[in-house]
Amino acid sequence: MTTHFITAEIDLQETDSELQKAIETELQKEGEPLRWAITSVDVEQQSCTVEAVVTVS
Amino acid sequence: MNFELIRPYTAILIVPTGIGAEIGGYAGDALPVASCVSQVCDRLITHPNVLNGASLYWNLPNTFYVEGYGLDKFAAGCWGLRPVHQNRIGLLLDQGIEPELRLRHLQAADAARATLGLSLTDYVITDAPLEVELRKAQSGASWGTIGNPDSLLRAAEVLINKAGAQAIAVVARFPDNIDEEADQNYRHGKGVDAIAGAEAVISHLIVRTFQIPCAHSPALSPVPIDPDLSPRSAAEELGYTFLPCVLVGLSRAPQFIVGETHQLPQPTDIWANQVDAVIVPATACGGSTLLSLNKRRCQIITVLENKTQMQVPPEPLGIKCIQVNSYLEAVGVLVAHKAGINPSALSSKISSLQRRD
Repeated sequence: MTTHFITAEIDLQETDSELQKAIETELQKEGEPLRWAITSVDVEQQSCTVEAVVTVS
Repeated sequence: MNFELIRPYTAILIVPTGIGAEIGGYAGDALPVASCVSQVCDRLITHPNVLNGASLYWNLPNTFYVEGYGLDKFAAGCWGLRPVHQNRIGLLLDQGIEPELRLRHLQAADAARATLGLSLTDYVITDAPLEVELRKAQSGASWGTIGNPDSLLRAAEVLINKAGAQAIAVVARFPDNIDEEADQNYRHGKGVDAIAGAEAVISHLIVRTFQIPCAHSPALSPVPIDPDLSPRSAAEELGYTFLPCVLVGLSRAPQFIVGETHQLPQPTDIWANQVDAVIVPATACGGSTLLSLNKRRCQIITVLENKTQMQVPPEPLGIKCIQVNSYLEAVGVLVAHKAGINPSALSSKISSLQRRD
């Protein structure tokens, strides 16, 4: 297993449930999400930046 | 009235790790906040970053020490919490720790057994150095990765399956050559804790894999004395290790009830739908725990005074909250909420009801 730090831009969603799902789906493209947080929000672009550590087996 | 039938008032206090929180971003310096909050609720759930003050700790009998990955799972409703009287703690030491520094940690663990009466299993040393690497992200938050996560997990497995550990205290060797400016800032009560993000990654790995309480204490070489040391950081310079608070926290940390368990429910079990309120810094609303709780019947309280490096206010994420300036105000909101009083009724102006068509 290896651990990797990644960042991702995610569009804000209608609901917080959809946003959580969108974040996890995006992170899963890089590995298994271990820890993540939204670290900034761009209201004009309706997007947010997520920083995360994922693991890859 | 039978008071046992009243719903226990349950709150969560979050100060995210490694984001430069002005209160709670240093050496367990949100502990006074936790102490006050615990006085006005029946049960307080919080996490190691709030309660860990290296050699300093405080016993809060109604407070539950829950590691961040477990807190996210709890808030999502996937895991429950089962309070315990005591856990047998397994001590997991990084092979990268030098012999003398290792001995300091073993003696700290022995001291916790003899002086505090805590239960520990025999200890395990990883079969390879963990090789922690630190990283500061663009946001300003500290993160980190570890070079040998499998070695960490193999050691935890031995502690759990062979030594009978019910909770894991990890001590990893962290690099001494941390960015000098960042380190000075931290010791002076400014900026971000450069190692906190990597610590969270280590404990998250163990909690995710084994669903068992875990917390981390870094092994670092002693630093030269600094006359300008901030009181907020000073707890970390009292001794040779940061381990005592971790052992105390884990000794009573609740066990996790994982969804597919076949264990019978117990009346003291806690699930997310029993959480009445959560308190977070107003600029750090982008964590999984808060997004999950926003879906529930849970009063979210955001605190403006506790500034962080994050830029994630509640509004753009659709988080419904009461915003206050300070933790003192937050405690007042909790008291009102617990009493069933709308906090706005305590202010001088109350607007009239409006008709809705």
